[in-house]
Amino acid sequence: MKLITAILKPFKLDDVKSALQEHGVNGMTVSEASGFGRQRGHTEVYRGAEYTVDLVPKVRLEVLVDDNEASSVVDVIVKAASTGSIGDGKVWTTPVDQVIRVRTGERGVDAI
Amino acid sequence: MGTRERRNRSNESDRFLASLFNKSLAALPPKAAHSGIALAAVGGYGRAELSPGSDLDILILHNDSLSESELSEFANALLYPMWDTKRVDHSVRTRTQTRDAAHDDLKVALGLLDIRLVCGDADLVAAVQHDSIDSWRKESRKRLPQLRLSLEERHERAGELAYLLEPDLKEARGGLRDINALRAIKMSGAVDIALERISWAESTLASVRESLHEVTKKNRDRLLFQEQDLVAQHLEYGDADLLMSDVARAARSVDYLLNSTWHRLDSKGKDGLGRILRKPRTTPLGGGISVTHQEVVIDELEDLNADPVVGLRAAAKAAQLGLPLSLDTCARLSAILKEGGAQLSNPWPREARENLVSLIGAGSAMVDVFEALDQEEIIFSWIPEWNSVRSLPQRNVLHRHTVDRHMVETAVKAAALTRNVHRPDLLLVGALFHDIGKGTQEDHSERGARLIEPLAKRFGFPQEDIETLKILVLHHLLLSATATRRDLDDPATIASILAVIPDLETLELLHALSIADGEATGRAAWSPWKASLVSELVSRVRNAMSGSTIALQPDISDEQREVAQAGILRVTLEERDSDYSIEIISPDKPGLLSIVAGVLNLARLDVRSARTKSHGPSAVMKWIVTPDPHAPTITAEKLHRDIEAGLKDSKGIEERINNRALAYAQLPTIPVPAPIVESIRDAATDATVFEVRSHDRPALLFRIGVAVTQSQVDIRSAIVTTLGAEVIDTLYVTEISGGALSDERAREVRERLAAMLK
Repeated sequence: MKLITAILKPFKLDDVKSALQEHGVNGMTVSEASGFGRQRGHTEVYRGAEYTVDLVPKVRLEVLVDDNEASSVVDVIVKAASTGSIGDGKVWTTPVDQVIRVRTGERGVDAI
Repeated sequence: MGTRERRNRSNESDRFLASLFNKSLAALPPKAAHSGIALAAVGGYGRAELSPGSDLDILILHNDSLSESELSEFANALLYPMWDTKRVDHSVRTRTQTRDAAHDDLKVALGLLDIRLVCGDADLVAAVQHDSIDSWRKESRKRLPQLRLSLEERHERAGELAYLLEPDLKEARGGLRDINALRAIKMSGAVDIALERISWAESTLASVRESLHEVTKKNRDRLLFQEQDLVAQHLEYGDADLLMSDVARAARSVDYLLNSTWHRLDSKGKDGLGRILRKPRTTPLGGGISVTHQEVVIDELEDLNADPVVGLRAAAKAAQLGLPLSLDTCARLSAILKEGGAQLSNPWPREARENLVSLIGAGSAMVDVFEALDQEEIIFSWIPEWNSVRSLPQRNVLHRHTVDRHMVETAVKAAALTRNVHRPDLLLVGALFHDIGKGTQEDHSERGARLIEPLAKRFGFPQEDIETLKILVLHHLLLSATATRRDLDDPATIASILAVIPDLETLELLHALSIADGEATGRAAWSPWKASLVSELVSRVRNAMSGSTIALQPDISDEQREVAQAGILRVTLEERDSDYSIEIISPDKPGLLSIVAGVLNLARLDVRSARTKSHGPSAVMKWIVTPDPHAPTITAEKLHRDIEAGLKDSKGIEERINNRALAYAQLPTIPVPAPIVESIRDAATDATVFEVRSHDRPALLFRIGVAVTQSQVDIRSAIVTTLGAEVIDTLYVTEISGGALSDERAREVRERLAAMLK
């Protein structure tokens, strides 16, 4: 099993969500995040004073999938999240040892 | 569901316990004394109020004539048969032990106030009842603060019944335990409480709890989301929203009575000499309003029909002082409004609108006053539209309050943001009514924008302000929705905002409203993350907008120009509905603004707005002032004389203003947002513009004028606006020799202003 984590532009969340649902992914975790990569943040002028916004608001999305689905789900996310400009975000996968559904105690792929 | 069922349940338990009691007594050895032992019910069971899941709180009283083993045998014989069928909370005590236990434990003392004989020695129970009530009354000074502390701890833990998604009917604030507390306070005799005011609330909450026990077959008092539909059905409500609306209304009325009870207990005997003179000390505030017993009251002699604004004036004053509105005043106002008296004209007079804005702008101090206006149904006479959102639940995880309370909370948050905008009045009114369209299937923003129009018209706002309010209500979700769902880098996103927001002033209002709405909704809807996205959007839109929020210098007419050229003093006065319009053309000199402001202040005239501009050797000034209730009649001649004297010698004015400030009664204050002083170099007029945004206070404009004049500069023009209790003053300032101020000089003036405002 794999955990897919994606950092996205907030306004792309709806698109990614519906693309994933169409692809058959039904569960996900979404949280508010902020950070920077190559985009670095930017400078702002407010009431005459210049200040740097170094953390850019992003959305963090996490999906658990079976190994053989991981690469297609990643593709779906990347395709839906892309605008072509800087700050589009990143997607990565992490191997997962075990998954347990709390209600039923199911384990492994059954719990996804 | 109802009192009768709960009583029947209690009677049934009585019979069951009595038979067990008699059986257990019969099992005792014959030599043992069969008198001097009794079974009593305490707490809710003592009041014969049993829900299906209620515990049986019982007390076995004895007079120590049984041996320890006999007593234990008796108690076991009584309790064992119930072990599996009933939940029993019992204690076995003598009269003295009971007295000691009550002394040490508040909960025991409260339970004993409801003690009732089930069977056995009636005299023994009567004696314990007498002891309990007697010591509760005698020790009320000590016990009531303990009770209050325990309530506060419980409220902290259990939250507010009226607003929780899944409230505990017993423990939460405004719940059944609070009703018992009110009963206990009344029993102490420390203060009289009109318990009949909450009889509907009590029967409603008790029935809902009873139904919850029936439906779930458990003795849990927390009304979980998934059970609300079942309970609503069981109690024959149309849907769970209607059920929760009744629960909220009931809880609010309990909480209101409890709050006002604590306040009355607190302010008892706080009137110093008044206690000895048997007459409460009263601080008159003018306009038919006073402070008595730390409450704002409308004077008895005040004719509410002749002065219908007095209710709003009292509410605004109470909120601005952070004091409650007295229950008697509320009742009097409510009664006369219900009879159709004391009606405000349509549109409202300016004073009524200003008082509404002052009320809304008081921040958290406004909540209790507004709650009183709601509980006494006064607000519905003033604003009938409020009825459609009263205690309207929002059963979702985002919201933590009912619709009406959410709007009040939004106004509280907005009051902290009044310095961020140039029209605090529109922000506050927009905040208080932004969700007024909720309660139907229709889009609430669209419906709200339709409802706000007649409302704002009635408040007396001019058409352009009404248009702004409509935009605020219609688009109150626009910024947060756009910021999170649209690409901020896409010019089309910015263009979509520019298409509906006409100017910077509206943009800053909408931004402040979005923040206030989000903060009032709660953490689930608003976070620093979301706030930063919205700010980013706003700053991008601001960059794309042209224009400025700085007030423009006023125009002057040809006739005024002519008089100004002559350089002589002329004062003309026009009396209007509730204010005066005063035109003053005066020879210009440094400090003129503060001299005229000072003269008006000493004449007890409250400045609502002013537009002044220098022309040639003179300054042309237009003032709108409202007279203080104690103001002597004013005439143009008198003002002329006073200004003339002030021009010759202005020192006397400051002295008299300072003396008056000292003489003002020391009234309480509420926390307000810190004042803001900003300056900008205006190329078009070659002047430096200072903008002061502050909470209003006596002689503020006079002091601003003095502070600026100390820097030896010339005030070319001033635009002064008072909106409710907030003030925005814009001053166009140049060096006396002409030209804008250098950065250093501008900072000097800013610092002087900031120091004065502290």
